[in-house]
Amino acid sequence: MTAADLTNIEAMAPTLTKSRTRQGQLRRNLKRFLVDNKLNLIGAIIVAVFLFLALFGEWLTPHDPYAVDIVNAKLLPPSTDHLMGTDELGRDVFSRIIMGTRISLQVAVVVLSFAVIFGTIVGLIAGYAGGLVDEILMRLTDMFLAFPALVLAIAISASLGRNLRNTMIALATVFWPWYARLVRAQVLSLKEREFVEAARSLGMSRNRLILKHILPNVVAVIIIQITIDVGYAVLATSSLSFLGLGAQPPSPEWGTMLASARNYFRDAWWYMTFPGIALTLTVFAFNVLGDGLQDALNPRSGSR
Amino acid sequence: MIARLIVRRLMFTVVVLLGLSLMTFTLSHLVPANPARLIAGPRASASTVEKIEIEYGLDQPLPRQYVNYMKGVVQLDFGRSFSSRKPVSEDLARYLPATIELGLYAFLLSTLAGVPLGVASAVRRDSFIDHVSRIISISGLALPVFWLALMAQFLFFGKLGWLPDGRRLPDSVKAPPGITGLYTIDALLAGQWSTFVTAVEHLILPVVVLAFGSLAVTTRMVRAGMLEVLDQDYIRTARAKGLARPAVIRKHALKNALLPAVTSIGLQIGLLLSGAFLVEIVFSWPGIGRYAVNAILQIDYNAIMATTLVIAVIFVFLNLLTDIIYLFLDPRISF
Repeated sequence: MTAADLTNIEAMAPTLTKSRTRQGQLRRNLKRFLVDNKLNLIGAIIVAVFLFLALFGEWLTPHDPYAVDIVNAKLLPPSTDHLMGTDELGRDVFSRIIMGTRISLQVAVVVLSFAVIFGTIVGLIAGYAGGLVDEILMRLTDMFLAFPALVLAIAISASLGRNLRNTMIALATVFWPWYARLVRAQVLSLKEREFVEAARSLGMSRNRLILKHILPNVVAVIIIQITIDVGYAVLATSSLSFLGLGAQPPSPEWGTMLASARNYFRDAWWYMTFPGIALTLTVFAFNVLGDGLQDALNPRSGSR
Repeated sequence: MIARLIVRRLMFTVVVLLGLSLMTFTLSHLVPANPARLIAGPRASASTVEKIEIEYGLDQPLPRQYVNYMKGVVQLDFGRSFSSRKPVSEDLARYLPATIELGLYAFLLSTLAGVPLGVASAVRRDSFIDHVSRIISISGLALPVFWLALMAQFLFFGKLGWLPDGRRLPDSVKAPPGITGLYTIDALLAGQWSTFVTAVEHLILPVVVLAFGSLAVTTRMVRAGMLEVLDQDYIRTARAKGLARPAVIRKHALKNALLPAVTSIGLQIGLLLSGAFLVEIVFSWPGIGRYAVNAILQIDYNAIMATTLVIAVIFVFLNLLTDIIYLFLDPRISF
């Protein structure tokens, strides 16, 4: 399953809060969000753990994630020394998963930064300008959405050459249209609101209006979408790596690890089990957290 | 009205496909690797490489190459595969039915299981079945399809030995005579019962794994749609006038609750097509996804471009079909 495809589910959900929640209310909601909803709490904890591993990974790995020892440590099952066993070159799977966290989250951050910046600019322009500009920009956006995202990403990264940088370019290309759409929809509804009209009638310049009044109100929606998409960006990256397109060995990227683990699936269950669990937990946690944020900021969508 | 919509969508489709073909063409020609060199092999002489360049039209200017390429494409001629040395269209005709068989059964499974599950979970909110369906929707979105495939293969083939590890049929079994290209149907048409059973056995793991993601989407959409509909006044009216609950759900609620699920079909087709790439690799399924990945690994441009285009065409047309079905289901919609 692909990332941008799945964000569609969120796009189909009722659009986000119309009235901007006030600070105090937001804080109350967030408290309710973490304390009352166990699923949200689990999501937040898992996300925190992965962020911690990504930041401080090299001080936490019990072994050197790249240290090869084919003679003594090839495909050892989990033990106290190697919590998650070792791989075909005798490297510690646990240490490699920890280092893989950073790669995954780094890719997600880079991909989503480009996607969000570009998508937001396109969405703001299309939504605010309207008319022909809107039509052209949105048809262009639709064109990118007219393909299954992962297939498009595969085609792009295959054409550019097989490495992680090109995978990031490919993924940014498939993620931005969702943000363009999301931002445009928000701008269209904001544009008609009283406070924007008031500012406009007071003679505020267009650029200032967009920066001061429109953009800040779009940010909440974007943040929710980013939270969900981090998981899907990680998933898409590993999917491409699994196919041999993204990260290349000896990188401890989870999809790359799973691609090599595949050759040993009869003898070494641990080798392909643990990277998959790490990947699933990441997607799950960011998804739950994003969903939870959406509900917290908009109680109406809680019925899902 | 509907005809005009279809024409408009078809025109947009043509533009989209032209755009994609231009994009993949440009991208694949930006790469420094010389395909003629790749075909000829590393030890070929400069004159051999040149001959191949001329043979494949690689010596001509890029816009010219693109026009030549598109002239072929409209006649379903995608050029020759650099790796198999056969026309790409022949390869596609050979591999596409395998993917269609896989995707079709996965879609049927996810719909036939997802709709009842979604309905049951909405009608009996917070019951056991509701919890099951919510676990499925959450895990279906989070579980990487290729990892699920690996684990299923490990468990049901490696450990339990219940099911085969992959491929459509073992080498010992001859493929049924090709009519539809779908082995299950061809085997039945030819009356080869044992081939049919073997083909089904080979389908079980890939289909279930592939269906899992879209099962999650269907369940989630149907549940949400049903919950919303059940809250409507006309449902209350139907109940108040004495209709039994099952009848209300079947006759009044279901049809309306399914509408949002129908819109999600487009999304599911995307999931299934993308998933097919990964599932086919794990299960050595000789479909178009596996063909495309092999083409990528061998830098086989013609094959890469053709598969991307074919998948895009399938996706765009199935989406168009969904929209048209939706139009008939929901008379309120006008475009």
